[in-house]
Parts: sequence; C-alpha cells; structure tokens
Amino acid sequence: MLPKKLLLKRSCPLIMQIAEFHRKPRWLPVAKSKIYRIPKRPEISEEERLELLRINNNYKTQMRAIRRFYHEEMIKEKSSLESASSEMSQKLEAEEWERCVQINEQWNKQVAAEREERRKIELAAMEEYALKRMEAKDKELQERILKASEKIKREKELSSTFITPDNLEAAIDHALANPVDYNFAIDLKGNIISGRDTQIPKPEKTQATV
Amino acid sequence: MSSPVIKYVGRTTNFKGKTLWEIVGSLKNYGVGRIIVRSVFQRYSEPSFMKIVKVETCPDEERRRVRVWVEKTFRGRKLPNLTEIYRTSYKPDYNLIPKHEEVKLLESAKSYENLPEVILPNSIEMPPLMKKFIVKDHEKKGLEVIKDYVMPLSYHYSPNRVKRIAKGDEKPTVQFTMALGTPVSPSLYEGVQLQ
Repeated sequence: MLPKKLLLKRSCPLIMQIAEFHRKPRWLPVAKSKIYRIPKRPEISEEERLELLRINNNYKTQMRAIRRFYHEEMIKEKSSLESASSEMSQKLEAEEWERCVQINEQWNKQVAAEREERRKIELAAMEEYALKRMEAKDKELQERILKASEKIKREKELSSTFITPDNLEAAIDHALANPVDYNFAIDLKGNIISGRDTQIPKPEKTQATV
Repeated sequence: MSSPVIKYVGRTTNFKGKTLWEIVGSLKNYGVGRIIVRSVFQRYSEPSFMKIVKVETCPDEERRRVRVWVEKTFRGRKLPNLTEIYRTSYKPDYNLIPKHEEVKLLESAKSYENLPEVILPNSIEMPPLMKKFIVKDHEKKGLEVIKDYVMPLSYHYSPNRVKRIAKGDEKPTVQFTMALGTPVSPSLYEGVQLQ
C-alpha cells in the first residue's frame, strides 16, 4: 500500500478508492471524550436469564454433537477414499518407479562414456606434463654436474700454488724475504701511493700555482 | 462521628470479595486449615468451598498472586486430589468463612454426599431435517445407510464435573433432545402453544 502523503502530493489527479477502517485502532487509548462514559449493564430478569441459559446450553450440546458427527464422518470418508485409491496408486507408483530406474540407468551410461573420454585426455596431458618435468630436471642436473666439474678443474689448477707441509719452510722464507706493506696514501687527484715509507715525489706545478 | 461515605465510580463487576493474598497474607500461618469461598460459585444451591492446605508466597513481580493448594469441594462433591490456585488467585472474588460458621458449612455438604448420581447421556437423537438429509446423502456417497438416528455426544473436560457421563450402554438419568424442552420459566411462554 502506498503511503497517504505520497498520494496527496501527487502531481496529476488520480481517481482511486481507498477502503479505510473508520474506527480507532486497537492500540490507541480510550478517547478523551469517552473516558468517563460508563456503559450501563444490561438488566435481565431472573426468569429470562434462567430460560436463556437453559436454551443456550441445549443449543451448545446439540451443535457439539452435530459437529462431532460430521467431523468423524469426514475422517471416515477420507480414509475410505484413500484405501480405495491405494491399490491403483500403488500400481501407478510401481510403474513410475520402473521408468525412473530406466532413465537413471541411461543417464549413468552416458555419463560413464563421457567420463572415460575425459579420463583418457586427462591421462595423456598428465603424461606429457610429467615427461616435460623429467626432461627439465635431467637438463638441470647435467648443467649442475658441468658447473661442478669446471669448478673442480679450476681448483686443481690452483692447488699447485697451495702451501703444503712440504713447502711450508720455503713459503715462510719467501714471505720473510719479501715483506708486503698494505698501507697506502691517497692524494687529492686519486693517486694511490702504496707503502708507509715511500717517498712522495714533490709535484712542481703546485709550487708554481702557489 | 459520621462514617465515611464510599462512592464507587466505574464499571461494576460480578466479583465480590478480596484477592486470595489479601485474605491469606493477614492470617496466622497464612490461614492453613481455614475455609475460603469463591463468591461466583455461590450461585449453585449445593455448597462449594475450599480448605487451605498449603500456601506458597510469590516473588515481588507477582504481588497480587499466591500459590495455594486447597481441598476443593465443588457443588457438594469433594475432589479426590488437591487443587492448586495460582492463575486465578488475583481475582478479588474470595471470601473467608469465619471459624464459627465452618462447622455448619461442612455439615451442609454432608447432606449432599448421598444424593443419587446423575448420569449424562453419551448419545443424542438427530434433528428431524438431518434424519431426512442423511439418508439421501449416504445413498449418494455410497456409504452404509443409517438406521438408528443417533449421534455421539461429546463433553468438555473439567475436573469439577459433578455429573457422570454414561459409559457404554449405561442408562442415563437425564435425556437431551433436539426439541425446545420444558421451559424453566413458563411465564415467558404465555399464549404460545408448546408441543
């Protein structure tokens, strides 16, 4: 339902009928004008009250009996109908079941064939992938062996210069005979002058500029 | 000294008396052993009263209520089990019987104990139009044709039931018919020919 404001504010006129409940909603309190209104109790004479009570009680018992009778009859009818139709329905149900089973088997076959094909393709792809990986691995191994052998060769060549217990004395002697001085100085031009005691040649141009 | 005039304003009620807590709360030992009466049930000619056996108070949220167990005598018949009053304990409809009247009440109940039992019927005859209708209806539906036009009668369950419902082929002492029956107040039917 559209809100009322929206309907009232519409741009073009609209002919519409709204059914409204012309009454106070249940949740609102008693109207101000009705607060002190006390409804009068109906006055029924004792004779009438007793007679009405008797008649109404009678009516209720009678109606209860009729209602119960028809309720039970309805249930009986329903159950008898169900039992009558149950044989027919069982036959129908069995046929339906058979048909369902057949369709299911057909579907199963179809799906199995599809699955077989798919599996073949998948297996081939897997084999290819595995072979590729194995080849790559072999190649890598080969390369590594090559690299290692090269390194060994280099080391072997270098091993001729190693200091061994045999030529230790000679090496010490050689070291003592040729001391190496790692100290060095560096000038503004970037010239490296190695050795602590090396004489620095005096540049002549610097004097001229000064 | 003139007594204060109490003027009640508002709707009237059928209740007459106090709530159960108002009675029980102001008595010694919560009134165990005393007899109370619902004024609504005084409309029956047989005595109906309740003897308090046990009282339990209620939390503060339920300050108008109490939980009371009573030995109930309804319309002269004592119920075999104790009855709990809780849901209806707030109703301002209970009256306390003074101690000197208790004996009289109990004695009056005794006279109703040995009355002959009233047995209610468990079946009722069909109304006249239904008798005619049901034959045709059953023929149409292919059901078996009814010969005795009798329907089973059902009653609401009540622990207070005074009259007994007939079991099986027991002969009831009261009969219900589909007719108007005998009027209680014949003055209302003056000038009307009754069958």
